[in-house]
Amino acid sequence: MRIALFTTCLAEALAPRALKATVLVLEHVLEHVLEHEGVTVELPAAQTCCGQPMLSNGLPADAAILARRMCEIFAPYNAVVTPSGSCCSVVREKYEALFTHGSADHKAVVALAAKTFELIEFLETQLKIDPATLRGKTPSAAPITCHDACHLRGIHRHGSTAPYLTRACCGEVRELPDAAQCCGFGGMFSTQFPEVSTALGEEKLAHVASTGAATLVASDTGCAAHLAGLAHRKNVALRVISPAEALAESLGLLETGAPNGGKP
Amino acid sequence: MNPLIAPPLPFDMKPRARDAVRDLKLQQFVGNATHLKDTQRGGIFGRDFGHDYDELRTVARDTKQYALDHLDELLERFITNAEKSGAKVHAATTGREACEIALNIARAHGAQGRAMSCVKSKSMVTEEIGLLPAFEAAGIKTLETDLGEFILQIDGDAPSHIVTPMIHKDRVATAKSFVRELGARYTEDPTELTMIARAHMRGLYRTADLGVSGANFLLADEGAAVICTNEGNFDLSVGGPPVHIVFVGIEKLIRGARDLAPFLKLLARSGTAQPLTVYTSFVRGPRRVGEHGGPKELHFVLVDAGRVGVLASEKRDLLRCIRCGACLNACPVYRKVGGHSYGSMYAGPIGAVLTPELERAQGNTDAGLANYADLPRASSLCGACYEACPVKIDIPKFLMHDRARLRERGLSPKSEGHMLKLWRWLAERPAMFRFAIRAVRLHARMLGSKDARSGAEHSWIKSAPGPGAGWTQSRDLGIATGESFRDWFARRDNKSGGGR
Repeated sequence: MRIALFTTCLAEALAPRALKATVLVLEHVLEHVLEHEGVTVELPAAQTCCGQPMLSNGLPADAAILARRMCEIFAPYNAVVTPSGSCCSVVREKYEALFTHGSADHKAVVALAAKTFELIEFLETQLKIDPATLRGKTPSAAPITCHDACHLRGIHRHGSTAPYLTRACCGEVRELPDAAQCCGFGGMFSTQFPEVSTALGEEKLAHVASTGAATLVASDTGCAAHLAGLAHRKNVALRVISPAEALAESLGLLETGAPNGGKP
Repeated sequence: MNPLIAPPLPFDMKPRARDAVRDLKLQQFVGNATHLKDTQRGGIFGRDFGHDYDELRTVARDTKQYALDHLDELLERFITNAEKSGAKVHAATTGREACEIALNIARAHGAQGRAMSCVKSKSMVTEEIGLLPAFEAAGIKTLETDLGEFILQIDGDAPSHIVTPMIHKDRVATAKSFVRELGARYTEDPTELTMIARAHMRGLYRTADLGVSGANFLLADEGAAVICTNEGNFDLSVGGPPVHIVFVGIEKLIRGARDLAPFLKLLARSGTAQPLTVYTSFVRGPRRVGEHGGPKELHFVLVDAGRVGVLASEKRDLLRCIRCGACLNACPVYRKVGGHSYGSMYAGPIGAVLTPELERAQGNTDAGLANYADLPRASSLCGACYEACPVKIDIPKFLMHDRARLRERGLSPKSEGHMLKLWRWLAERPAMFRFAIRAVRLHARMLGSKDARSGAEHSWIKSAPGPGAGWTQSRDLGIATGESFRDWFARRDNKSGGGR
């Protein structure tokens, strides 16, 4: 089995630590939990952007060009794993509509969709890892709370991060009030309607604050950048990390960062 | 028509949205009510249907889609059966025609030298066609009998939600309006307020010349209409006056009572988390010999007003909408900006796609989207609307579709389009793309600010140019400036002898 990491351009620019954590967690699981010999996590060098910004902003033909690239780049692999929920949903749900049913491109994107997974989903549904086996030697008791990317709704994974991290003992996972509401990021919506986007972000941060958790686990790089950026501007001490980082820290694969508005 | 829901075109949503976000009362009223209804909706479906909920939605979707696919046939059947029961059926291609039909009916019953009066129960399509302004111009005095619509009417306000039209107002405002307009004594008690409105309306039902209503469903087999209300005001408006006119969009047709069950199960639960509305009224034909109630004349005005055009387009799914309002309650943007920000009687996610589409389909081909260019963009594409929709209309898909049309016609900001095109061009060239990411990181390292909280590997941009300005207006942009992921990955590979 060959596993490819789908890094996403946003994570490469804003959240390299989430990518490192994804590699470390996957390798840990393959070596120590499943004891798979010779299965490695590979980084296809030619990958760039999945086309979501073009797709969501009225340029489907441009998105289709990038969708074709994605298919070629990931063709040799059995599984494609990403820490970014929204980019994952684009490959899984949105590519198909870009091509004529039955065309070679359509077949290729359907094949890619069938093997692309968000990290926690991959662990839970594909590798079938019981989160209890991911308990660190000294489980953290620090309170955390989880915000799932809205785009995980489409792949039926919305709300699935918190229970998984709870059972993996990544900290005391506190329930986020009104967890189903969008954080207001929405890609370019955040710059087109900044006041609305910010108002939604502030509401989310208020709910996070009400839990008392100093760490927010967000399953999409965009949501994380939006909420961390808002917290930083408002001088709110909040650490925003990905589910991969939460697992990697709990397993001792990454050092726990200092509380801050970003990702050290 | 009220400029709140019929604004000057092209419509600029942004100032209204900005004002709404700052309006603390609106934030409180709309925020609380939508959250409550959305939560209750989830609760009642979970309790009553559990995992079968999705199957029920599929059945409703397919049933409505079948009706739309056979609309010609169902229309004929409806007309035949309605006429058989003694009703008169009229077809109106445009809103103006629909109003004209109603005015002609009214004129035929008008007494010389006396102003006519009309009692009206809630109907979205009458808002759409501008019936009340047309009646007013003809000297017909109309009373809105839905309590929410009544309060909006006496305040000169406009509905901001499909199901709960005065969601943006509260009891205090209502109490003041009742003192001012009805000479009532001041009370904030909901029961007392309702009794004041009731006392005001009762007599008017008896003396009205005309009753007007909408309909939730038209039954082709029975030639009947189904009207769902919580206040019984429809029954009074159809029971009192000698003439009743039902205005209804042609998309409300279904085969008949045999197909009604899934919709009645879904409608009230989706809209207000009730198992059924308090009244589910069936109206079929005028008063028959020996009957004591009901109008002597019953008219159905079947309104096209763009629906045939929508049916022929790729947006035909929109006609499945049963106007339950669930997508408004679920939408994070609607919760923040309220209904009047959408500049239409159809607000929220469904309004954002339906408003420009109905205008386009009424012959205003280019102006449809051009007049409402902000609407498709006013969404984070979070998908809550699709999840809430009882007939599974993929609203985000249509929002994205409209964004593409806007882009094609040059109706989206050019700078944004150029940036996206450049981004795509770079993304086809991996070496240059990586260089661009590196440049952004370098830029952040040199110009961004660091602070003790951020650690050494993170820089914050406080002010960005171009489209980024919208971001940094209220947020910092945190960019990782330490070792890149690719460098880290390569370093590990080398350490382990390239074996991984």
